[in-house]
Amino acid sequence: MDGETLEVSERVRAATSIDLAAQLKELKDTYHWDALTSTGYGRFLSQKILGGGVTTEIKAYATSAHHFHRDINTVIDLGGQDTKVLSLDRKSGQLIKFEMNDKCSAGTGKFFEMMAATLGLSLEELVAAALKGERAFEINSTCTVFAESEVISLLTSGKSVEDIARAVHESLLVKLVSLLSRILNAETHSILFVGGGARNSTLVKFLADALAREVIVPEHPDFFGAYGAALVARTNLNQLP
Amino acid sequence: MTNPTPLFDDAFTDFPLKRALAQVLKQRDAGARVVGAYCSYAPVEVIWAMGGVPAVLCAFSNASIPKAEETLPVNLCPLIKSSYGFIELKTCPFFEVTDAVVGETTCDGKKKMFELISEKRPLHVLDLPQCPTNEGAVDYWRHSINGFKKFLEEKFGTVIDEEAIEEAIKHTNRKNALVEQILGFGAHRPAVITWQEMYDVTSYAMVTGGSEAISKLEEIVAKLTERRDKGIHTSAAGAKRVLVTGCPVGGDVLKVLKLVDEEGAAIVGLDSCTGLKAFAGRIEEGTGDPLRAIATRYLKIPCACMTPNTGRMEVLDEQVDLLKPDLVIDLVLQSCHTFNVEAVKVESLVRGELGTNYLKIVTDFSSQDIGQLKTRIGAALEMC
Repeated sequence: MDGETLEVSERVRAATSIDLAAQLKELKDTYHWDALTSTGYGRFLSQKILGGGVTTEIKAYATSAHHFHRDINTVIDLGGQDTKVLSLDRKSGQLIKFEMNDKCSAGTGKFFEMMAATLGLSLEELVAAALKGERAFEINSTCTVFAESEVISLLTSGKSVEDIARAVHESLLVKLVSLLSRILNAETHSILFVGGGARNSTLVKFLADALAREVIVPEHPDFFGAYGAALVARTNLNQLP
Repeated sequence: MTNPTPLFDDAFTDFPLKRALAQVLKQRDAGARVVGAYCSYAPVEVIWAMGGVPAVLCAFSNASIPKAEETLPVNLCPLIKSSYGFIELKTCPFFEVTDAVVGETTCDGKKKMFELISEKRPLHVLDLPQCPTNEGAVDYWRHSINGFKKFLEEKFGTVIDEEAIEEAIKHTNRKNALVEQILGFGAHRPAVITWQEMYDVTSYAMVTGGSEAISKLEEIVAKLTERRDKGIHTSAAGAKRVLVTGCPVGGDVLKVLKLVDEEGAAIVGLDSCTGLKAFAGRIEEGTGDPLRAIATRYLKIPCACMTPNTGRMEVLDEQVDLLKPDLVIDLVLQSCHTFNVEAVKVESLVRGELGTNYLKIVTDFSSQDIGQLKTRIGAALEMC
């Protein structure tokens, strides 16, 4: 991010790897920066290799939400590891409250990945199938592992892949809405949806219908946390003596 | 920053439970009967009056849980599973040296667990009334405590007289006042006492009686006063301040407290049964009915198993006022329904009325949620 114009100059994405350290070292050799903040679960490893500061993804999302969408007071981050909902003060951008899913993958992006694999679909195919499916039944298991066996038994009972894909989406939707209900208020007219999960257009549509509110997805929802970290880094840069 | 003088200058630095065990063993070697207890509601004055020593049996280690899960349901409070697992493995040094065990009907999991261990030691379970302000609650609790006294008398062929109980009450009051004074040093800014030291003090005080406890605690007060006067601090000047409330903590669940340390914040108060709760409040002296005085005080312990539990809100209000924390962490052990549900009221008090940041954490003794906890605690502190 350009420290003066705050324009995003470049986005780099790398596949999840077991050798994160090597990936970070490569970044260090390729790029240079005046200020850097790491965020996310790997933030401390990143700081060790690249230097700079750290911030939690919660603060990063709150910072970029307020910067790019001034009128927003509610943010959802649906990631691979966990799901978070944030409540912000509309005027100051101050984080008021946040809620996270329990230590379980059932309410996260991982759930979609596992369910797609069970159905023998790619993630994109799962999303497309769900849009065509009917709301015919529910997946009741709240655990990814149990939901997997539930999906298999639905398949063997002859249910269509589209309807199962729909039920998979509805299952996650229920958890998302429940988490959101802890922070939603009458002032919430629209919700910013970020993280990799926001790239799931079917889920975005279902969520907007379920909440009867506008759901805004930025152009690159999975980079939104990184933008926030960059904004935090810039603030820290300005505070340097 | 000058290194502060250790509060306990002994071989048990960073091992408060080993120190507590040594204290129990020392008294046992001198002829004291060891009575194991699971809870702050155990009326230890009756044990002290008998010339006995209480040993705290609540366990906080993940290591014994797989053994417990061979018998107990997985979806149960880790404290109960850990305690039970140690008993099955015969590796709890405290349980192994007990001559008898006392339990109370606080939570459902514990009270059914007592039935499973009743063959292993002489066991007495006190029926604890859970509506402490209802008419007759104190009378009934006095009756329960008297039943415990009779159990000890019969089991050990002794008589526990009222004068000895009265003496034990006086001793408790002196000890509690000192422990409360020590924990109150958390109010200084920057902090002059660490949470490890608070835990050291409470673990020691639970199992130490007589003049030994009083003189040691007075020595600690003097050391802390010196730190304060000389400006010897245990945390950085601008460190954010955290008060931890909720379920008892120790052993593997100290992971939460350690994560707070890693974020550079200072824990300035422990408001649970392993912190202030067992030492707050006094027993009325010289009433002529020492068992009733004990019953009255113990029913005021603000545990979430009680309803209504207004005392917890009053204590939190006082503690926030005294310690001025930036964040209150409400630590709930997995499957502890009472603390988990009561968190709704605690959050409303802390956030709404006291205007302090609040974070509820539900966890167990495993390390599976460390990454997520680090994010939660980090973000909650960034908000302060």
